[in-house]
Amino acid sequence: MIRPDNRLADLPMTPVECQRCHATVQVRKSSWQQTSVQWDEAGARTCLERRSSPSGGSIRDTDFFTCAGLRESIAQAALSGEIPMVEGSAPRGGRGPAGAPAEERAVTQ
Amino acid sequence: MTTAPESGVRAIEAAAAPTRFARGWHCLGLADKFRDGKPHSIQAFGQKLVVFQSGDGKLNVLDAYCRHMGGDLSQGTVKGDEIACPFHDWRWGGDGRCKQIPYARRVPLRARTAAWPTLDQDGMLFVWNDPEGNPPREEEALPMIEGALDDEWTDWLWYETVVDTNVREVIDNNADMAHFFYVHLTFPTYFKNIFEGHIAAQYMNGKAREDARPRLPEGSPQLIGNTSVAAYYGPSFMTDELTYNYDRMDVRTTLINCHYPIDENSFVLQYGIIVKKQDGLDEKAAMEVANTQALYVRRGFEQDVQIWKNKARIDNPLLCEEDGPVYQLRRWYEQFYVDVADIEPAMVERFEYELDTTRPNEVWEKQVQDNLAAKAAAQGRTPVS
Ligand code: FES
Ligand SMILES: [Fe+2]
Repeated sequence: MIRPDNRLADLPMTPVECQRCHATVQVRKSSWQQTSVQWDEAGARTCLERRSSPSGGSIRDTDFFTCAGLRESIAQAALSGEIPMVEGSAPRGGRGPAGAPAEERAVTQ
Repeated sequence: MTTAPESGVRAIEAAAAPTRFARGWHCLGLADKFRDGKPHSIQAFGQKLVVFQSGDGKLNVLDAYCRHMGGDLSQGTVKGDEIACPFHDWRWGGDGRCKQIPYARRVPLRARTAAWPTLDQDGMLFVWNDPEGNPPREEEALPMIEGALDDEWTDWLWYETVVDTNVREVIDNNADMAHFFYVHLTFPTYFKNIFEGHIAAQYMNGKAREDARPRLPEGSPQLIGNTSVAAYYGPSFMTDELTYNYDRMDVRTTLINCHYPIDENSFVLQYGIIVKKQDGLDEKAAMEVANTQALYVRRGFEQDVQIWKNKARIDNPLLCEEDGPVYQLRRWYEQFYVDVADIEPAMVERFEYELDTTRPNEVWEKQVQDNLAAKAAAQGRTPVS
């Protein structure tokens, strides 16, 4: 039996909906740069980018490295504080966009 | 519970390694080594196998023990399309059926032994292991390797060694970002895993470690860094498209990292390397790159082995946020140890994990600089007499 990741005890995963195609995935961010994304079958079926990638979303051809729409939605959710981050990772001055490091804001564009 | 409330001490927990062996394709090595007309004895999956090339050129894998009275077929002789047992000369075909008993009028019913499906692809021989006894799964077909058996690339440089531990240790490496710095003297700057279906991918960019750079003659190309896209296809076969970025060129290489279990406490670790010949990199220079890389990879594995030899098996690793997705990788790996009907969605559903290398990189950069400073100071000391 495979055990759960010990880090999930500090911070579980949170659902995030893609603003583009409304696929829902489970997300966890320990910091601005770290991101875990857990897909399920329904999410994978819904994701537009995944469906339209030449291989239909296979990682074999690495053409579906990540869904850009979802990546942006996750960044937005992180900036708005919708998804929590592990303590110590939140930028000073709160979790709002104003407190996010400048380079991080650039990533979301 | 992993913590005794009184002491606060975290216990290491580990169940015994499974005695079931992973379902999937396993590479037994370069195919050519089995083409000498002789039977080859292989210990794998807790059994003894015989590999032989039949007269029709096909490579076959059977259980080594003859169903007549237990003779060892790997000590036998290839006769035509069959392997002949050294004990009473019964003839076994690559399909596992007894074709002929020279001294008997007819072959008894059910004279059939275990035959493993084989695949002879890209210069490598693979066997399909399946505790359920089913044929190879279509969806787990192995990828073709770009450059394998191609004149524009070097031939395979192949290496194998026996490691006395359970195979899970080598799998864990795929998600273990920090060990690349401490054990392999590399410097990962980017690290991401994606697991989906039977594939477990690892994307890693790294930069050359100045403190571990071999001293090269003046004017030699300087290594700046590398990009690597590696993926396990099934439980044991990893391809790694590894590009080395030098100051004046990029060198494309493909690295195979694969293994097969001997039993639950040991496995044969293998790697293969091919290098693309290109402008500024003729046959000889490409072979040199291959040799250098092989040496480097070999040292890398020796460093891993040193760790594995002495470490404890651990089912409950205590991970920090800068570690990779070890648990999720193990969850993915578990799919190969259950019946196909029992594969849970969580084992095969897509999981992405992008690591934050900011903090590790700061610390490592400093360590590299400290090492360089210490080296320089040591060189400044002139030896006496
Ligand atoms: S034991 Fe193999 S032929 Fe008798
Ligand atoms: Fe390693």
